Amino acid sequence: MTLFRFDIDARSRKAARFMGRVRRELLKAVMEEKRAGLTQHELARRLQTARSNINRQLSGEAEITLRSLADIAWALDREITLELRRSETAVGQNIAPTTSTIGYQPVRIIAPKLPND
Amino acid sequence: MTTISDLVNSGAIIRIELDLAPRDQPLRLLYATPQFVEWLRHVLDGAEPPHRIGHMSAAEQIDDLFYSFLSGAQLIFTRQFRAIRAEDNAVWELKTPDVRIFGWFMAKDCFVAAFGNWTDTIKDHDLYRGYRIAIRRLRRELGIDATLCVKGVAPDDVVSV
Repeated sequence: MTLFRFDIDARSRKAARFMGRVRRELLKAVMEEKRAGLTQHELARRLQTARSNINRQLSGEAEITLRSLADIAWALDREITLELRRSETAVGQNIAPTTSTIGYQPVRIIAPKLPND
Repeated sequence: MTTISDLVNSGAIIRIELDLAPRDQPLRLLYATPQFVEWLRHVLDGAEPPHRIGHMSAAEQIDDLFYSFLSGAQLIFTRQFRAIRAEDNAVWELKTPDVRIFGWFMAKDCFVAAFGNWTDTIKDHDLYRGYRIAIRRLRRELGIDATLCVKGVAPDDVVSV
């Protein structure tokens, strides 16, 4: 059985997933408010900005600053929670290279190319 | 009847994995064709679209997309995934600002990535139809068009939210 591990460096991974999570949280909140009747037009009016600016931030085309994150949360009347936890190992937690749903057969890892390959 | 194991053992598809966070478990499955894996290698080697739209690198965008998918996070319909055309056994795309990944769902929460390309390139050359036809042909060649392919086109036909 073969598998390919898509592996970017840990620093980039941390940044990508954090920014992605923030954007998904914002999108989820915007969609919930939309279902409750708040249009993107109204959201843009509250923030005194163009709808396209909000769209670009939500889609990942523009970076979301802490200020604009707070502004959107204010416009949606949402609380922001943030916590920086220590990385701690615990019994039963996932260790990616050994926790796999791959079957019982031997695994051959197709590793990404290294610079000196 | 061809099974997913048969496809993996024959090399037709390859399992994609990535490091999850310590408290995550893989809740969805991601496979790829050898051709798509070659494209991923190209991205890992630093390939970028000619005019990047997103503020993250292409590799970072893909990592975040794959992470969302595999960790079972809620995917945003049309922003992160959508069916190319509303039809039985549809071809689906996974999306980031700069990347489009075309494939199909063999089962709910089980996606096969067949082709990847830059968003701009696809839009400039109108490649949607070509990828859709290529994937339908690939499924026929593998003999799985009617078996290992989700028929519905609603978001919750293909992913658990």
